[in-house]
Amino acid sequence: MSAGNGRELRIVGFLCNWCSYGGADTAGVSRLGQPTDLRIIRLPCTGRMDPLFMFKALLSGADGVLVSGCHPRDCHYSEGNFYARRRLELAKRLLPTLGFDSGRFEYTWVSASEGKRWQQVVTAFTEQIHTLGPGPKFSH
Amino acid sequence: MKIGVFVCHCGSNIAGTVDVAGVAQAAKNFPEVAFATDLLYSCSEPGQEAIVQAVQEHDLDGVVVAACTPRMHEPTFRRAVERAGLNRYMFEMANIREHCSWVGKDKDANTRKASDLVLQAVEKLRFDRPLQAKSFDINKRVLVVGGGVAGIQAALDCADGGLEVVLLEKTSTIGGKMAKLDKTFPTVDCSSCILGPKMVDVSMHPNITLYAYAELESVEGYVGNFEVSVKKKATYVDWDKCTGCGLCMEKCPSKKAYDAFNEGIAPTRAINIPFPQAIPKRAVIDPTYCRQFIKGKCGVCAKVCPTEAIDYEMQDSFVQEKVGAVITATGYDLFDYRKYGEYGGGRYPDVITSMQYERLLNASGPTGGHIQRPSDGREPKKVVFIQCVGSRDKSVDRPYCSGFCCMYTAKQTILTKDHIPDSQSYVFYMDIRAPGKMYDEFTRRAMEEYGAQYIRGRVSQVYPYKDSLIVRGVDTLLGSQVEIEADLVVLAVGAEASRGASELAEKLRISYDAYGFYMESHPKLRPVETNTAGVYLAGACQGSKDIPASVGQGSAAAAKVLALFSKDQLESDPQVALVSQARCVGCGKCVQTCPFGAIQLAEDRAGNPKAEVIETVCQGCGLCTVTCPQSAIQLQHFTDNQILAEVNALCQQAMEESFES
Amino acid sequence: MKYVAELKAKIREKLPELDVVIGWKQGFDPVHASPAFMTTPEEIEQLVVNPLCVQNLATYLPGLKGKKVGIVARECDTRSIGELLQESLIEREELTVFSVKCPGAVDLVKLRQQVGDLGRVRSISFDGPRVTVETPDESSSLDLGELLPGKCRVMAYDEPVLADFRFVDPDQDTVCREEADTDLVALEQMDLDERFAYWRGHLDRCIRCYACRNVCPMCVCQDQCIADTRDPHWLSAETDVRQKWMFQLIHAMHLAGRCTECGECERACPMDIPILTIRRKLNREIHELFGYTSGMDVDAVPPLLTFQPEEKSITEREW
Repeated sequence: MSAGNGRELRIVGFLCNWCSYGGADTAGVSRLGQPTDLRIIRLPCTGRMDPLFMFKALLSGADGVLVSGCHPRDCHYSEGNFYARRRLELAKRLLPTLGFDSGRFEYTWVSASEGKRWQQVVTAFTEQIHTLGPGPKFSH
Repeated sequence: MKIGVFVCHCGSNIAGTVDVAGVAQAAKNFPEVAFATDLLYSCSEPGQEAIVQAVQEHDLDGVVVAACTPRMHEPTFRRAVERAGLNRYMFEMANIREHCSWVGKDKDANTRKASDLVLQAVEKLRFDRPLQAKSFDINKRVLVVGGGVAGIQAALDCADGGLEVVLLEKTSTIGGKMAKLDKTFPTVDCSSCILGPKMVDVSMHPNITLYAYAELESVEGYVGNFEVSVKKKATYVDWDKCTGCGLCMEKCPSKKAYDAFNEGIAPTRAINIPFPQAIPKRAVIDPTYCRQFIKGKCGVCAKVCPTEAIDYEMQDSFVQEKVGAVITATGYDLFDYRKYGEYGGGRYPDVITSMQYERLLNASGPTGGHIQRPSDGREPKKVVFIQCVGSRDKSVDRPYCSGFCCMYTAKQTILTKDHIPDSQSYVFYMDIRAPGKMYDEFTRRAMEEYGAQYIRGRVSQVYPYKDSLIVRGVDTLLGSQVEIEADLVVLAVGAEASRGASELAEKLRISYDAYGFYMESHPKLRPVETNTAGVYLAGACQGSKDIPASVGQGSAAAAKVLALFSKDQLESDPQVALVSQARCVGCGKCVQTCPFGAIQLAEDRAGNPKAEVIETVCQGCGLCTVTCPQSAIQLQHFTDNQILAEVNALCQQAMEESFES
Repeated sequence: MKYVAELKAKIREKLPELDVVIGWKQGFDPVHASPAFMTTPEEIEQLVVNPLCVQNLATYLPGLKGKKVGIVARECDTRSIGELLQESLIEREELTVFSVKCPGAVDLVKLRQQVGDLGRVRSISFDGPRVTVETPDESSSLDLGELLPGKCRVMAYDEPVLADFRFVDPDQDTVCREEADTDLVALEQMDLDERFAYWRGHLDRCIRCYACRNVCPMCVCQDQCIADTRDPHWLSAETDVRQKWMFQLIHAMHLAGRCTECGECERACPMDIPILTIRRKLNREIHELFGYTSGMDVDAVPPLLTFQPEEKSITEREW
């Protein structure tokens, strides 16, 4: 179930341990098929998600970056995702000024029970990145 | 550093769609990997033994296991590497099952992905450092939220185990839903006869402090040391003086108050004690009906009260309690029967809920146990039961089976026959779900001995006809439409998460599902734990369940708390923030954002302000690490360098390709 | 400026209570002014205030924490002081602000474009909006408005954020003005590929001298900047445009919600890289998202150090 035809693109996911990582596990346990482009980095909380990791990934050759955490008000640490939402929204808004399509980066909320939603998010985001194609390249 | 990589087949779970041996082979070329192999079942005893042996034989410093989710077996493998003589944090997992083999069908793509995930774990491991847990003292008191049967059981078991228990109940009496029931399936024994003694035990137990008519206002702290604020709602009756004599209730002139205990089938007084066996047996004024509150004059209860307990000026008050663990047993609420307009619930007085029917059947109910139609008080001869009202129906967002309605409906048909021997019950059902001990036999008895007529099919409409109701539905076994003239229609309403469940979850920092039921830590293996250490679940707050299951969970949660408190100290997770004193400039931004107050500013020897982490308070979220501009405060095991290493590992290949193009 | 005599008198009066007063003095050549650290009455005599006094002296304040400091500050500079106070990086009671009405500022890059090699300038004088520049070959009369740095064209300040003493000439007009941000507008008219190429081109010229960081009043990490360490290892020493780009993003994100657009970073850049544009973009977004302008309210909480459970301006993506 590859979103593109043939070549995979590089998508890096940053997931909070308590909600979205569990949601991705739930999707796995339920065998909800997904495109294979995404690689997941586990964070304790989206509050740990420095927007600079996103920039670092895009500058290092990632074609897309996805952050997913607990729904607002459900943060395991009470407030982490509230701070994350502000930081990540701001970082997303800076992308076009730098020449990156803002669609290369999304942040969202998926709970540990929402395996189906995780499948939808991964599938839609992977398709989105394939529509945008490979990220801008640095070599001349 | 010498790293060992172990790639798990998980039988065919991983090996079926990932070239496991190929991944292990590729891993041999990853930085600092000294040993790599594949294992059939790495979590099994021989699997763990192979890891321990390899660590010792190859003198490994760290271990990567590529297998299932770390949320499953990280603790297992950490113990294994510890047995092998390594620090338990010199270990990383690559999730190549839930995040790879189970979700991708293309074996080549999966193998590449698994290989990337292993490289990512190896790169992270290179920055792992041994971490040591710290011990901290715990407060061996437990808070139980909810005084239904699950909460009662949990409270009694904890109290019997020697723990001090604070039991919170939002209504003015404990007992919950079970206290409203007439009889219980499949034994048809009297509900209050089996619950009553337990309620009395709660009130008599020296280890239990009961706050009824109280709610959880806020929760601070963490496992072993929670600080909770309890809101004691104003009852307008001084419970220290009230003796529960009931004189006020007798004399109260406001006789139209809504009776929540009786599900509104009959009114009660503005000042009332919900039922004679209430614990605590104390009166509460409902200010929405009380004349003193509405009109500013009356004062009858104050005049008649022999102990002068009435206090119209009473305000909500707050008490602080310190506990080490919390058991949530907040139960469920009933589906709103008005949502199915076609059944006429709420419009036709003789269409009632199953819980209202329980109150009609109950000898201590408003009709004294005589079944009477709400409209005219007549004894019904034909009673139609409609099952799955708010269960197994996506159209009302209740796709789940509530699990107990089939059984209580069967019980109610039996009780109907007992009360009115010349009556006839009809049950419209989808399937009969009776998978408990003696459950199926019980439903059979309802049909065979008590003559209840079961009709497999849904009801399309209930409408009034003369002084009765026509129930029109379909009998899918006969393939024909049926119409039954009924005197009374009982809707078997399903369970839903109790109102306010999500707000409470947010206070406790536990997860809940799309319907508001609380999430257990693992659906099979950790059914009463939550993902928040020290918070446990009992009863229907976790998902609809019947009395035996609720009681079982109450005991299970108590056992977990007793096990937690079997030590005098707990070990704190060492994955906490660490300040580099050299790099910290003392700006205090981390202090400002830390949700736990775990960081304070202290002075170094030169008198410069420096951030300082209180290790046992830090919960390891990492918010501070992102807040600190110079990255002077690092969440251990999730340091900037570790996450950067993971990013680099994952982007390396893409970067190389971009240079080629 | 006519108020300079009055200003000097006030500084002389206050100096006994202060450890140092920061102002400007004539620099090494006619077109440069230098920061002056005045501790004696003689040093006060050297104080000048004119459009060549371009440095935001607030940059020095965090390093002087613990001392009683006086500072001569233009309106826009007080915004940086406000932000530093808000973040508790300096203490109000240690600070005396001599607020001067800004006489305007000269962007030396623009001056060079007008008169050529600045080393040949013999004298420069100001008379209201007119600037007279003498070189051995000619005398040019220029319009101060044409020489203003970009930052003076997009944000106007009539009043300081805070002041202990205020100095304004009679009938003195505000020089800075609020016009469209032409740099940002030009950038936003490009398509994404052009923007990418624009930054790749500009940032490739970065020599990683970190002058932009060193001059920034909000870069308080002192010697602990993450650009200079391997733990954490955010940047390598590789001379790759990605590393340079990453550094600029680190700087910009660490300033998000804090940057007061003083423009010192861009002024100090020896390669004339338009790095202020990134910060202006972030500030514009922060204003739109959180209705917040940094440095204007000493008692406000910076937007990234707080949150609202419901963020009215953030529309989250649906799937």
